[in-house]
Amino acid sequence: MAEILGAFEQAVLLAILRLGEDAYGRAILKEVQARLEREVAAGAVHATLERLARKGLVVSRLGPGTPVRSGRARRFYRVQTKGVRALNDARATVDGLWQGLRWPLKGYL
Amino acid sequence: MTETAYPPRWAEALLRTVLKPGDFESVSGDLLEQYRDSIYPARGRRHADWWYARQVFAFVSPGARFFAALFSAQFLTRTALDWFAPPLDFHTRSTVSTALGVGTLLAAGFWAAWRSDSFVNGAIAGVVTAGLASVTSIAGAAAMLAIWHDPRTMAAIRGSGGLDEILSLPLMMIFPGLLLGAGGGVACTALKRLLLFAKSR
Repeated sequence: MAEILGAFEQAVLLAILRLGEDAYGRAILKEVQARLEREVAAGAVHATLERLARKGLVVSRLGPGTPVRSGRARRFYRVQTKGVRALNDARATVDGLWQGLRWPLKGYL
Repeated sequence: MTETAYPPRWAEALLRTVLKPGDFESVSGDLLEQYRDSIYPARGRRHADWWYARQVFAFVSPGARFFAALFSAQFLTRTALDWFAPPLDFHTRSTVSTALGVGTLLAAGFWAAWRSDSFVNGAIAGVVTAGLASVTSIAGAAAMLAIWHDPRTMAAIRGSGGLDEILSLPLMMIFPGLLLGAGGGVACTALKRLLLFAKSR
């Protein structure tokens, strides 16, 4: 197993994959908020992106800014092969845990 | 119109100090975009500024918040002991609580420098830790005073330095927080260099 990913790390990695070429800070934050259906602090996403980059699961590059950002650069992210492998492992682990159980759970209590 | 709106300067300045230099432009750009695009038009200036400040505080190292809570807990424990179990001689108690406080601020600086590879961040963590701790310590002491203000407790408070000391001491720790945080940061940088040197041999 390459990496053990937390749920929030998975949410961020999947958001980057979904956004493709447009995966920069604020877009990732919006996507994560939409999928998790809750408010998320920009700092939480930033810290996660930093951690994922340290682990070698994502890489980033600076791109041009826009007038609404007063020209400040955007940092675009891309998932690395190691990141895809980690997501696949995470999914396989969850699938394995659920094997033999029917979702949603009923009648176990 | 909102493209000319700016969040509070102090919040941007704080953001600059808590982020690595290379991250400030992109992160502040993201926040500015959201501030102008959605928060300001929907909620107005006051709410947008409050939102921005909260976002910036979320960037303040979670470590600083942990050490601030630790510092406050030590301060309030010492305060409670002085109020409810006053000693004849405060010297030993003062020495222990000072050592714990100094250790906490040094550790905050060390931890921040370890994470960021910058001793400057150690100094910032020291100030932020002491600043946050001063707010929670004073609030905690005020809450204790609101509950316990019988003549016996008030006499114990007077005997241990008085209310002035309790309410001003946490604020007086902010500057030492800067120095101790920087000290922890320098110690961390030195240790990292030593480890690197030992590894390279």
